[in-house]
Amino acid sequence: MKDLFKNRLQRHLREMAKYLRLVFNDFFVFALLFFMGGLGLGYSNILKSLKPGLWWAPLVALLVLVIVAQIGRFATLIEDADRVFLLPKERAMHDYFVAARRYSQFLAQCTQVITLFILAPFLSVALHWTVAKILILAVAQIVLKDSLLRLDLASAYQVTGQRRMNQWGFKWLLAIVVIASGLWVTPYVALALALVADGAVAVWFQQHWQKQQIRWREQIKLEDNRMLGIYRFFNLFTEVPMVSGTIKRRRYLDWLFTGIKPKHSQTYLYLFSRGMVRGTDFSGLVVRLTVIGMLLLYFVRGQWLPVFLAALFIYLIGFQLLPFFQQYDDVVFTHVYPILPEFRLKSFVKLVTLILSTAALLLWVVVVIANRELETAGITLLVEAVEVWYLARIYTPQRLARADKNKA
Amino acid sequence: MALEVSHVVGGYSQIPVLKDISFDVKDGELVGLIGLNGAGKSTTINHVIGLLTPHKGKISLNGVTIDQDSQAYKQQIAYIPETPVLYQELTLREHLEMTMMAYDLDQEKAWVTAHELLKTFRLDNKLDWFPANFSKGMKQKVMIVCAFLTQAKLFIIDEPFLGLDPLAVNDLLNLIEARKKTGASILMSTHVLDTAQRYCDRFVLLHDGQVKTEGTLSELQAALPEAGESLNDIYLSMTKVDRA
Repeated sequence: MKDLFKNRLQRHLREMAKYLRLVFNDFFVFALLFFMGGLGLGYSNILKSLKPGLWWAPLVALLVLVIVAQIGRFATLIEDADRVFLLPKERAMHDYFVAARRYSQFLAQCTQVITLFILAPFLSVALHWTVAKILILAVAQIVLKDSLLRLDLASAYQVTGQRRMNQWGFKWLLAIVVIASGLWVTPYVALALALVADGAVAVWFQQHWQKQQIRWREQIKLEDNRMLGIYRFFNLFTEVPMVSGTIKRRRYLDWLFTGIKPKHSQTYLYLFSRGMVRGTDFSGLVVRLTVIGMLLLYFVRGQWLPVFLAALFIYLIGFQLLPFFQQYDDVVFTHVYPILPEFRLKSFVKLVTLILSTAALLLWVVVVIANRELETAGITLLVEAVEVWYLARIYTPQRLARADKNKA
Repeated sequence: MALEVSHVVGGYSQIPVLKDISFDVKDGELVGLIGLNGAGKSTTINHVIGLLTPHKGKISLNGVTIDQDSQAYKQQIAYIPETPVLYQELTLREHLEMTMMAYDLDQEKAWVTAHELLKTFRLDNKLDWFPANFSKGMKQKVMIVCAFLTQAKLFIIDEPFLGLDPLAVNDLLNLIEARKKTGASILMSTHVLDTAQRYCDRFVLLHDGQVKTEGTLSELQAALPEAGESLNDIYLSMTKVDRA
């Protein structure tokens, strides 16, 4: 069982490494360094201006520490099929879960240590704490996190007639009590409380787990949610096949479709438009890029820079829309319906034209508001119009035709 | 002669799953495609609906092949897959409307048919539901309603009886019967042999990518006299021959 976890962990880490490489590309690392540098500078400036004895200083520390104590979930790496294939091995799963907790421990405790490291100067300036006191608090925080993870582990088992022990209310309360006692009384009390809590859970669990069943369904769901969260994050940077966007009815947008008449040639426009509006994947992308573009253009002045930026954002949106053409390829009816491929392409081009025109118009309005200059406004509009026309009518069909050829 | 499959060699990759298959489905006929898992039923169906292209051989529907005129070929087919597939972003109402658009049906007339079908399958109060909220059986019913909305000449139904409640199975069989009377043909694959025996006009027994036998029940009985009376017995004896 320990080997099973080790195998899974290796596979998991390999996968994470693959995605992390994509996330931390040169550009992002560069941006991140600047961002962190800026934050660090700001933080040190704030520290310099702080005077000891501020009433809200312990509150800030409490808030930060309690929130950070909840970070780092119990990563079990269990899969849906386990509840069938590992069911006969239920007792042996204990070793697996213990190994899983050890791994989760590592990640979670790193976060705690880093947080305290960052918070240490604040504690020493604002509360006049000595290094020893801060260290004790750090140990208390680590023990606290240990007990929280132990609660998660214990909750993987079904306690007959009892409520789950790792309910978020309880976990928050425990963290608040421990940290508050450390900040307002003394870190020694916090450490003692954390040790008691940790020990109590450990003893209780030792006595009980052998008589309990594993909550398979719940654990699987939790793990799925955890992984989905991770994939969602990666999905911001790169394409993740495991994340399929959710669908929202968005009845209030139904008026958008009134222009699409139920004609044979419009079948795909009917489908594409609804898919675009109700799916969160592509519509989210378009909205995000448009809003970022608008914000950026609002702050940018100049003769050519706005034109260039507006054109860049339209290109980005248009480019990202291309895969939407294949969105319905795995629905068999896309191939069975008696519709000529030309109609499908025409519908898609129409959709791209509509979306890009709307985005272009919005960007243009911002450019006009920000610059209030006839020349810039005129040039931007002209460039945008040509670009939308080229992207939608020429570039899109060409690219899709090429992609189609490569597939065949 | 509605559907004519002649000497088709084909499959998903270069390795053929189907080895020289020939059979036909005549107008107003219900033909059962029978075979073990992996015998090539679904592959055959995928070839007929045009998802796969045969390596060799020809498939024609009332004289039209998919290469000659894909539009005219597909216009004649309605397909009910084994696992229901729906557009996640479309409501039931929109699925029906989309089918009408795709097959270029007269909206008003089609809606009349649609409402009857919806009522039969007890979906008439779920027009604004998303597929995510349907059970598997309901999704299958949506597939049936969409298919029977069309005026297709050939209905291709992949394993319709599993997952449907007995009432729906009965309603489906009635629908098939009614369409047969208007001259439409049906090609149906199934494992539910006693239902198949009662309703199919002819059978195509597939085994290991080949047509083992073909014909009406009495023809099959005559071809394999010692096998037994029922389709089930014949089917079992056919697979046994191969295992021995």
